[in-house]
Amino acid sequence: MKPESFPSKRLLFAPGLLLLLLSLLWKYIPFNIMPVILSALGAFALLAAVLWGREQQRQQSGLANSICETMDALMDGREPENYHPYEDSQASKVQLKLMQFHDKLQEDGRQNRQDKQAIQELVSDISHQVKTPIANIQMFTNILQQHQLTDDKRKEFLTTMASQINKLDFLMQSLIKMSRLETGTFTLHMETGSLYNTIAQAVSGICPKADQKDIQIEVECDSRLAVRHDPKWTSEALGNILDNGVKYTPKGGKIHITVRPWQFYTRIDIADTGTGIAPEHYNDIFKRFYRAQETAGEEGVGLGLYLARCIITLQKGYISVRSQAGKGTVFSVFLLN
Amino acid sequence: MDIITVHHLKKYFGTGCSQVKAIDGVSLSVEKGKFTAITGASGSGKTTLLHLMGGLHKPDGGTVVVDGTDLAKLTEEQLTIFRRRKVGFVFQDNNLIPELTVRENILFPLALDDCLPDKFFFREVAAIMGLKDKLNNFPHMLSGGGQQCTAIARALITKPAIILADEPTGSFDIKTSQNVAGLLKMTAERFRQTLVMITHNLELAQLADHVVCLQDGRIQNRSLPKGTKL
Repeated sequence: MKPESFPSKRLLFAPGLLLLLLSLLWKYIPFNIMPVILSALGAFALLAAVLWGREQQRQQSGLANSICETMDALMDGREPENYHPYEDSQASKVQLKLMQFHDKLQEDGRQNRQDKQAIQELVSDISHQVKTPIANIQMFTNILQQHQLTDDKRKEFLTTMASQINKLDFLMQSLIKMSRLETGTFTLHMETGSLYNTIAQAVSGICPKADQKDIQIEVECDSRLAVRHDPKWTSEALGNILDNGVKYTPKGGKIHITVRPWQFYTRIDIADTGTGIAPEHYNDIFKRFYRAQETAGEEGVGLGLYLARCIITLQKGYISVRSQAGKGTVFSVFLLN
Repeated sequence: MDIITVHHLKKYFGTGCSQVKAIDGVSLSVEKGKFTAITGASGSGKTTLLHLMGGLHKPDGGTVVVDGTDLAKLTEEQLTIFRRRKVGFVFQDNNLIPELTVRENILFPLALDDCLPDKFFFREVAAIMGLKDKLNNFPHMLSGGGQQCTAIARALITKPAIILADEPTGSFDIKTSQNVAGLLKMTAERFRQTLVMITHNLELAQLADHVVCLQDGRIQNRSLPKGTKL
């Protein structure tokens, strides 16, 4: 049974019935009155065809009027007067579709307004982030210009200034990446490639930091596993999650990466033995510029996990998190196969 | 903007001493285009609440307003059409028709409404659900996950504004659950649908924009913060 074939079955039914009727007439009705009966049947068929044609015309005209009324109402921004979306009629079906289309346009408008608001919030966030390092640099510049300082003191202030400049540079790099991701001004280069190589690239970027804290990174991934993904950006996302792990894992800890290919997704688990995340912060950690109070001492601007989620979502994947306070956190990245 | 508004909703089963208050004064709003997860222990009223939202049960008190329509004001016939056009249901038991192929099962809701399928949309949904090469197979030839994907595709095919999923991953292992829930979330985002999913799995609930926790027919949001989001 093919649902598409329903109308054609109906069309075949009418001529079939007519042929059956004619064969019965031929068999049981005397031949001499056949012309009269055939003429009467012909006249009846003609009349039925005319009436059917008129009915069709009336229905089409009613449907066209209903569509026009609905569109007029939607263009005026009001609900159509005869809006009956749940009636078993052609007009009701079309009305519902038009309303769906209208809703879609409204949704686009709302999205545009939200985007504008997001840009305003972003400007405010950026100015807040930039304010502190610039104020510090200004203060140290003034001190260096106006005071006679020992070489050691001068060196110390210059080192502090350099770290503030690095912070600004890092912030700027992150903002550029974020801007490219959010505005869609870059193209994902999706290719079926080795996930092992992508993970290796992410791990190599974090190794120096991990070595400093004597954190061991283990990878459990089939080197032959090929997954459809953008290697460059996926490596960036994984690198950000790893960076987060290294930051919040105490000295001598461990980070374990496991890759499991599933039917629709490939799951990458990044498990650390760090301080853990409280469940009430699961949502917050992926927000732009979010920094937990207890991690204020750690360097960073709060964009890493936000960027990671953007990158994975753009590839139609998603990230979930499980954590136990004091025992560690598992970030699970799901890449659509 | 809310697409479903539930106000002081009540649904009781049985009478007298044996009366069970499945839903006992629940009020909540579901935001348009968002993913809401309903969690809670067995018997907490999750399924009853979902059925009330989808017009499958009539409430004993309170109102359910879906996209501006009070469901109590619809006749049985209108409710049937409402369920057919406005809502896509995905149940734990996928309820596929064994005698129909995957393609026929997916297109079945359109046949009920005497509609022709949007071919491009059909192809896209089949591709996302990994059913492109299995359209002529019968349901028993697919895995459990594949059957549930067919059920999801069937729910999507009429392009409903709302998808109501009742423990769609309930009978699966965590691996298949994550697969199916991930696809549901992705398609809801892709086609801008509102998704309400019942799950007892808190890891899957993390995928939602909003989490509502039910206990004994009432809302209790202490187990997971409202707005838990990834």
